[in-house]
Amino acid sequence: MDQQELRITAALAYVDLKDEEYEKLAAAVEQMLQYFSKMMEVDIKDLPPTTHALVRENRTRPDQALPFPDTDSLLENAPETEDRFIVIPNIL
Amino acid sequence: MSSLSRWIGVLTDPTSFDLYVKYVEQVEPKIGAFLQFDPRLGLRESSSEGPLKGVPFAVKDIIAVKGFPLTCGSRILEGFLSPYTATAVEKLQRAGAVVVGKTNMDEFGMGSSTDTSFYKQTNNPWDLERVAGGSSGGSAAAVASGMVPFALGSDTGGSVRQPAAFCGIYGLKPTYGVVSRYGLVAYASSLDVVGICASSVEITEEVFALIRGKDERDQTSLDTEELYRRKELPGKDARDQASLEAEEASGAQYRGASSGRGGGVRRIGFVSGNLGLDSEVERAYLHTREVCSSLGYEVKPIELSMLEYYAPVYYTIATAEASANLARYTGIRYGYRPEYAENPEELVRKARSEGFGEEVKLRILLGTYVLRSGFQDQYYQRAQRIRTAIRRDFERVFQEVDVILSPVFPTQAFKHGSEGLDPFQQKVADRFTTAANLAGIPALSFPAGLAGGLPVGFQLMAPVFGEELLFQVARRFAEVLPPLNPPSYPSPWS
Repeated sequence: MDQQELRITAALAYVDLKDEEYEKLAAAVEQMLQYFSKMMEVDIKDLPPTTHALVRENRTRPDQALPFPDTDSLLENAPETEDRFIVIPNIL
Repeated sequence: MSSLSRWIGVLTDPTSFDLYVKYVEQVEPKIGAFLQFDPRLGLRESSSEGPLKGVPFAVKDIIAVKGFPLTCGSRILEGFLSPYTATAVEKLQRAGAVVVGKTNMDEFGMGSSTDTSFYKQTNNPWDLERVAGGSSGGSAAAVASGMVPFALGSDTGGSVRQPAAFCGIYGLKPTYGVVSRYGLVAYASSLDVVGICASSVEITEEVFALIRGKDERDQTSLDTEELYRRKELPGKDARDQASLEAEEASGAQYRGASSGRGGGVRRIGFVSGNLGLDSEVERAYLHTREVCSSLGYEVKPIELSMLEYYAPVYYTIATAEASANLARYTGIRYGYRPEYAENPEELVRKARSEGFGEEVKLRILLGTYVLRSGFQDQYYQRAQRIRTAIRRDFERVFQEVDVILSPVFPTQAFKHGSEGLDPFQQKVADRFTTAANLAGIPALSFPAGLAGGLPVGFQLMAPVFGEELLFQVARRFAEVLPPLNPPSYPSPWS
């Protein structure tokens, strides 16, 4: 994979990389993709995909709200709050 | 034989509580197993009665315990306090067991050494210059050094079994869906399971019986209680019929132990061929085969025809799922937040760039790439199809044998730093463990003696829901080659 492809991928993943990280990670990603290319040897024509280990069909549950008892503990984990609002930088 | 009886009441009796804390304070500075150690906090959340009253246990820091931090070994979750408790932990607390602390791990479970943790290094109790394995290295080291009789870990591609083998203890990766994942931070959801590190087969079994069961809060969990209960019934026919019915009811995708040969273990499949093992491991593997034969099992050489594809398929699927699961870490609602950001988008990019370590970034990039439009057919979808071939290959093998004996890792515990295995070598070395996660089947890593003063461990794999078969063989094996404790850790309770 060339540097340009890696930059696009990093942007999609919301990860900024420093120049030295690009170099190191480009080599590591390339090495893994090479390794993945081993999969090209397998004839996959009659194989359906396995998307989940043991689950046969989609499972649903009743559409019921289950209130979480301690919402304060969730807000206490926010890095910055004002009253019960989470503070983020200005959007505009 | 190590059982839980000596550990009962250790934390509920004031005298033994002090003795316990003193022991940990003496051992832990050398090992570095814990990210947090606070048995008093743990005591507040446990039942004062129950079969495991006052028994200490440790929890990998990727599993939620209310009131304790939950970092996943990552800077991006620095300071996060868990608002709730995982189902598996809650069940143990209800039985009276007490969480004493959270254990160190590779960041988000991504690694085989625990050295990718942002926070600290964990050392192997058998040789402090060596790694305890990973990613559940802290849990395995805490058990091996006698600080706890068991610990919970998570196993996505071998993360319980490999550290267990490196530390000379037992490591169970249960059948997928049998233990609730509620409260287990997601790495690769179709592969993740909560697993057990323990100092004996008996303890592994007891903990497994307590933590399994369907959970409304995990949509992939299976209702298997009847199945496991009846598997313990005497009489092969009753057991097989019950298994068939219960497996059907559980909604599992394919038949497990009952579709195999039924009854107890008679035939063990021995993975043959050039497996690329270190010479010490190879020798111990052959010796383990001899021990199994001497116990009266018929040991049959088998070939796992998809072996060379396990690790590439695993890393394609695991990184793809990880890139989606780790998208939630934005620095907005919780966790690490950068000092300054011009706008919300920059905040998210900075939080992720500064909060994730190198190995996690690598896997996010790989996962994002294999899921990108134009590349999906070549990687992700191909991997999912080969995963089907891997499952079918196991179904074929389990028509011939009851359980499979396989290596866990090609080496014993390696050294910290550049003298050890590099990150790519570590990934390639996952080829034996990733199979059980891809196929959803249970696997148990067990200690098989020492080589060069270090533990060596192997794993048994069974058809889905076949944990009892694994315990059966491991129990008998321990009669000949009992698990050993590292010499410098004279835990009074082990």
